[in-house]
Amino acid sequence: MSDEIRRLSEELAREPSSLVFVQLGEALRRGRQPDLALQVARRGLERHPHHPAAHDLLARVHVDRGELQDALDEWSVVLAVAPEHAGAHRGMGYVLFKQGRLEEAEQQLAAAARADGTDAGAGTALRMVRRMLRYTSSAPVQAAPAGERMADAQQRVQEEARCLFAEALGDADQTALLLDGHGLVLAGAYVTSDGAEVAQEIGAALAGAREEITRVTQHLHLGAWTTLVAETSVATIAMAPVMTDSLVLAAAARSVPLGLVRRLLDRCARRATAWLTEDP
Amino acid sequence: MSAAFGAPLAAVVRLRGVLACMVVDEADGIVVASELHVGIDADVLAAVSAALFRGLRRSAEAAALSSVTYLQLEAERGFLCAAGHDGLVLVALAEPRAQMGLVRAAMMGAAEQLA
Repeated sequence: MSDEIRRLSEELAREPSSLVFVQLGEALRRGRQPDLALQVARRGLERHPHHPAAHDLLARVHVDRGELQDALDEWSVVLAVAPEHAGAHRGMGYVLFKQGRLEEAEQQLAAAARADGTDAGAGTALRMVRRMLRYTSSAPVQAAPAGERMADAQQRVQEEARCLFAEALGDADQTALLLDGHGLVLAGAYVTSDGAEVAQEIGAALAGAREEITRVTQHLHLGAWTTLVAETSVATIAMAPVMTDSLVLAAAARSVPLGLVRRLLDRCARRATAWLTEDP
Repeated sequence: MSAAFGAPLAAVVRLRGVLACMVVDEADGIVVASELHVGIDADVLAAVSAALFRGLRRSAEAAALSSVTYLQLEAERGFLCAAGHDGLVLVALAEPRAQMGLVRAAMMGAAEQLA
């Protein structure tokens, strides 16, 4: 049992009517103990049957357990009590997306983005769903079953994202990636000279880099950072912040002049911003 | 300032717009030698620069991009540069008016002398 779970359990035992069960349930979810999290959420709901956070917790536990319809039901309860609950809209959006119900997912994610304008994840998911809707709606209904149309749309959106920087990159030995705040690849590709696709590895290695660089500039009173260029013996890597939590990265062989790499980064940052903000 | 590092530091800090230049232990962010203008907090500069350099070096290595030899961070109110060599990091803080091409060249040359 982790220290956090032990502490929260003790706190809940001292004050059984407190809302600390929500934190405890979350900690259990993070600790991959969904059955215990379910028990905690249900007991909490017995004392707080109308509290949105309690139903929200239970919904997320249901998602962990693969009980998607139950999760949707719980989030519906949340929205009945708190219609602007961003977490419930976002959660429903993700579940509906997973179920292939794109129009409904789009409505929920749009509501999540309206309810919490700082939720970059919901905004990104919303744009992804809208792109998929564009592709599914352009396909003839009788052409293929819904599942296949969805899979085809997903593939086309992934391809669109993968080729986002193709025009800026040209045929030269250079590459570019767009990463979200967690280091997940949103767009672009990173192929090594021997043909291996390592975009995910690069993203994982740079997870949290944007925040780290921001902390440095805050400590040194340098203001907002605009560019970071790192040179290694084999490559030049340039990165820049995009939107509220994303990072664009351009890399080129060491033989490419630094100035060209910076110009490439500028072009990719503009392209990424346009792509993230455009309304598909 | 340590005599051993006097020449490399002087080569950088004399450039227009450079506010500070120092040699820092990459592992713990402790100042080894420094040349600073008034008002620069050497300990903070050393600690955050070493942490940034260390983090990016590890990220680059994890991504099989080899080790970072030089980095330049550009922000609204200036630049932070760092060049690594043998567990030491040469760090420079510069104003926006600095000519960063010259600073980079001086940093690369000075870093070679750290060994």
